[in-house]
Order: sequence, then structure tokens, then C-alpha cells
Amino acid sequence: MATGEKLELKQNQTPEPLLHFLRGLWEENAVFRQMLGMCPVLAVTAQLQPALTMGIATTFVLVCSNAVVSLIRNLIQGHLRILMFTLTIATFVTIADKLLQAFVPAMSEKLGPYVPLIIVNCLIIGRAEACGSRKPIITSLLDALGMGLGFTLGLCVLGTIRELLADGALFGISVLPEAFPKWNVMKLPAGAFLTLGILLGLSNHFLKKK
Amino acid sequence: MLIKFIRQSWLVLVSALAFGLLVAGVNAALEGKIAENARLKKEKALKTLLTDATSFETITDDEGNMVYSVGKDSSGNIAGYALIASGGGFADKIELLVAFDSEIKILKGFYVLKSQETPGFGDKITHESKPGEIGFKKRFQDRPIDNKLIVIKSGNPKEHTDDNTIVAITGATITSEAVTKIVNDAAIKMKKLLEK
Repeated sequence: MATGEKLELKQNQTPEPLLHFLRGLWEENAVFRQMLGMCPVLAVTAQLQPALTMGIATTFVLVCSNAVVSLIRNLIQGHLRILMFTLTIATFVTIADKLLQAFVPAMSEKLGPYVPLIIVNCLIIGRAEACGSRKPIITSLLDALGMGLGFTLGLCVLGTIRELLADGALFGISVLPEAFPKWNVMKLPAGAFLTLGILLGLSNHFLKKK
Repeated sequence: MLIKFIRQSWLVLVSALAFGLLVAGVNAALEGKIAENARLKKEKALKTLLTDATSFETITDDEGNMVYSVGKDSSGNIAGYALIASGGGFADKIELLVAFDSEIKILKGFYVLKSQETPGFGDKITHESKPGEIGFKKRFQDRPIDNKLIVIKSGNPKEHTDDNTIVAITGATITSEAVTKIVNDAAIKMKKLLEK
């Protein structure tokens, strides 16, 4: 009896941080399940490389700001919390922007205004509100990492499909034969909407709980 | 009253200060590298346009902004001039570096510093020519610019290499016209600058 109880306890005890991590990566994927942060999803996924850069930059901001919010969560006054979140996020976005300018100037130019626009990505403030301001640091860190990687994954899927169909290339290197017809529409905003719509339809079809 | 306000907002004040210092620190650490990146990019652009030149001298205004650049060859003769010019494109401002020969009679070409033109159409202004074709950028190389350049919508670029007509990019007439206008204005500006 006693051993049986113990076993049951163990099964229910998937550690909370890990649970958060996995949830962000797939079950509550920011792009396909929560539909948060659609602006970069549509705007920077014409090619894989900017999509990946954007994903990494967003993950960096998400992890840093969630960690800081979690550390000061007991000091934040309820009615000033949005102000504190925005302040924290803006700081890390500025840092991410400067880092990109210094180390990958070509990508920084390509992403243009979309790097500063990470500030208004609702995924980040959403996690600060839903997780960072409530949970201890380890959970918050892993939650942010999971969500960030899930978001990066979403961006990369779109980037891969669009770059393959539009240029027959990945990371700017041709991978499909010359004879492949290039779908120029995939480079344009219309291509972003088409791809996202089809992917959302597919993920709903296969993941919807019946 | 004041104490009440401070009790409420001390965290915002303290963290604003801390974050401000953090951003200032990062900026101080990376400023040099960012400026160096910009300088390298401009130098690369100058080198692709003024191929004869080996050294470049930048003429700046009182505030330290670049007015134009002079390229000199190995024996110290002036190989050409280049200046940054911009104007409205189809999507956003287009910024070009435009280069001329030493007498501002021949256009050496342009290099796109900034553009947000439509992918697949207008963004061909940034592409290099494919072998056997005369790409849009190449259509401007070594053109006499005593007369203004004008855009024609259709034609074979190979038949228009030394007159004052530029064949537009198919599907991107507005971008083609915008670039041509920027280049024309740049030529006038450059001549005025040298007359001074």
C-alpha cells in the first residue's frame, strides 16, 4: 500500500519547472497555439536567417525579463506592475538591439524596426504577468526558455517554408534545382499570411482535443 | 504626501536608475564596434564603386557628417567622387552612395545603403548582375551624365548602354524612377559642391 502511494506521488511529480518548459515548447506554442507575437511572425519570416535571429533575440529578452521580474516579484506594487514589466523589457530589448548592431550588422539592418518592436511583443509581457510575477526564479527561467524556443521554432518553420518556395534556398544557399519555379508571392506579406493560415489549420486539425 | 509617493514608487525609481546604468554600460562597450561596422560598410561601398581608387578622403561639414568622399589612386590623382543621396522609393526612403569620375562627366554607379523595396521586384536594385545579363545596378555604370538620365519602361538594356536612357525593372517602374531621380539629383548636387 505504502509503496503504491509513493509511486503515484512520483508520477504526478513531473517537476513544475520542466512542465512549464515543455508546455511553452509545444502544448502552448506561442505561434501555433496562443497566437501571440504575430507581428514578427508575419514580417521577418521571408527567409530563415532573419527568422532565426529574431527568435533568438526574442528568447534572450524573454528569459532576461522573466528572470528579473521573478526576482523582484515580491516588491512590485500591483498597480505599478505593467510599468515595471515594460521598463524591464525595454531595457533588455535595447541591449539586444545594440548586440545585434555590433555583432551581426547585416541581420540588424534586415530586421530594421522589428528588433525595437520586440518591446510590444505580447508574448513577453504575457509571460511576465502569467509566470514571472508569480513563480520562483527557476520555474520562470525555464518557462521563458520554453516559450522562447517554441516561438523560435514557429518562426523557423515559417521561414523554412517561405524561403524554400520563394528562392529554393535555405540560409541564402540554393538547395533546390534551378528548374524549381520560384513562388515570388512567398516573399511578400501575402505569402506570410498563406503559410501561417495553412500551418494553423494543420496544427488545429492534428492537435485539437476531441 | 511625498513619503507616500516614494513608498509607492521607490522600486520604479531604483530600477529605472539601475536599468539606465546597464543600458549606458552596454552602449559604452559596443559603441566603438558599431561605429566601426558603419565605417567598414561605407568603405566597402566606396571600393566597389571607385575601383581605381586606393585611398579615400572624406569631406565633412561642421557637424562631422559626411558631405562627400574623394577617391585617390596610388599616385595621388583624383579617381572620383562619391556622395550619399536619398529620396522616396516605393516602400520607404532609399539611400544610395553615388559615385562619379573626377570631372563629374561619367557616372560610376550606385550602391544601395538602405532600402525597403518590394522583395522580388524593387529589391532588384540591390542585386548584382547575373552572368550574361545587365542587371539594374549595372545599367548605371559608366554612363555619361551631361544630360539627365530618363527611365523607359521597356527595351533591351543591352541597346541602351551609352545614351541617357535607363530601362526600368519590370514590375518596379516606381522604384526605377526613384533611383534615377536620386542619381540625377546627386549629380547636380555634386557639381555644385565642387564649384564652391
